Amino acid sequence: MTRRTYEPKPLFIERMKELLGKDFENYMKILEKEPVRSFRCNTLKISPEDLKKRLEEKGWKIKIPFKDYPEIMVVESELQPGELGRALEHLLGFYYIQEIASMLPPLVLNPKSGERVLDMCASPGSKTTQMAARMENSGLLIANEMKIGRIKILAANTERCGVMNMIITKKDGIALCNRFKNENFLFDKILLDAPCSGEGTIRSTPRTLEMWNIKTIENLSKLQKSLIASAIEILKPNGELVYSTCTHAPEENEEIINFALKNFKVKVEKISLPLKTLPGITKFGEKEYLEDVKYSCRVYPQTANTEGFFIAKLRRDPNLKGRLSEGNRLGVLARKVK
Amino acid sequence: MIPLKFFDKREKEKLLNQLNEQFGINEIPWKIARLGKERIIVFSGDISEKEILELDRVARIEGIGLYFAKVDEKTQDLRLSIEGVQLVKEQITKNIFELDEKQAEQWMMGQEILLADIKTFPEGGREGIKKGFFIMKFKNDFLGTGKISAEKISNFIPKSRRLKYKEERREE
Repeated sequence: MTRRTYEPKPLFIERMKELLGKDFENYMKILEKEPVRSFRCNTLKISPEDLKKRLEEKGWKIKIPFKDYPEIMVVESELQPGELGRALEHLLGFYYIQEIASMLPPLVLNPKSGERVLDMCASPGSKTTQMAARMENSGLLIANEMKIGRIKILAANTERCGVMNMIITKKDGIALCNRFKNENFLFDKILLDAPCSGEGTIRSTPRTLEMWNIKTIENLSKLQKSLIASAIEILKPNGELVYSTCTHAPEENEEIINFALKNFKVKVEKISLPLKTLPGITKFGEKEYLEDVKYSCRVYPQTANTEGFFIAKLRRDPNLKGRLSEGNRLGVLARKVK
Repeated sequence: MIPLKFFDKREKEKLLNQLNEQFGINEIPWKIARLGKERIIVFSGDISEKEILELDRVARIEGIGLYFAKVDEKTQDLRLSIEGVQLVKEQITKNIFELDEKQAEQWMMGQEILLADIKTFPEGGREGIKKGFFIMKFKNDFLGTGKISAEKISNFIPKSRRLKYKEERREE
């Protein structure tokens, strides 16, 4: 089947060239290739060994690319369009079709049995179901989504996967965090997979190129700062937050982590992932970011053979009492006055 | 406010007795609640009932736990959801209807199964078969609950979970 292509806008090309340098040509080349067909074994229902065996009996060639994560699988044989989604094993909730890069944020957050976890922007539920599986259906998982149509998709996916430690809430993410803060309802771990401009999804959804514009990136950046600021405030002391997007735009990535480090008592932690990543950048155009922002991870299609992603892990100060250090609080107020 | 009511000890016991009678199920180790009039959900989350009510006030709960079963309006019998069946499959010993490959496919496509089309019935033959809810099973897969009446087995597989068309096996 021929893939429809869209012409990237000049500003997009210019920005990607600044980010990638010599690797830009490789990036453009890989966008023309079909993405890898990956899925995740739902360990709430079946073991990776049993699922692999079962799918191989159907004649599918299955590869497990990372031995430490046997639940991550790739179909190497040719399938009919939609075949992965309409297989009985999918309908029974034995696996979830998910891009490998999208599986990374829950691996970094690593929620465990007994923890209280918030998935702030949960729909369609790929990361929610992955986290529930890692938590072995125990602890508490609150999955929030603000649009009712998307809640239906989230509910259908979590049900198919047999998730039962979860409560779905419907609220704007910022309002939700404010409510939780007022009630002192705090979390061990939070996943903020923020709404973003989706530059990382161009390989699977080339139409993203047509919709791309810098104004959207600027507006999303403001929203993402508000979301992360609200989320940090409902982390328990020493609690962890994973911030992720499926975009390459630094305004939606490093700039957000930079904002969090400057204004809150959090630190960014080094993370290790099972595929090749690049460190967060500390300079883009005229903007410079704090040195520690480099501990964030950039996932590029041409180096990891996945979609593009950005992931950073923040930890809240264990001795925390107030929200902001006094100096930073005054700084924020001063900026607001301006 | 979410129309949720958790079962007390007595209600849980009553439900377990019914599950045991219908399907041989002995244990539900999670919180059980009625959601609305008919739906029964199970919930394994680590949060008290009081906190859940508080959470609903603060954040508007849209869903909780897993849809486990429905109470039949007429007979008051329990119909387990496809997820409910999978959750307690190890415990199910009664009222299992074994499907052959063709029937399993038909079943997962959302079609009802006519008793006239069934070649082999469980012990007792067609005449001996009880009416009511049966767990549908093909090999090791539990495929939800069907309702056996005089002529057919009614299908309750939700549209989103149905096979769109026949699966084809590929050659090695």
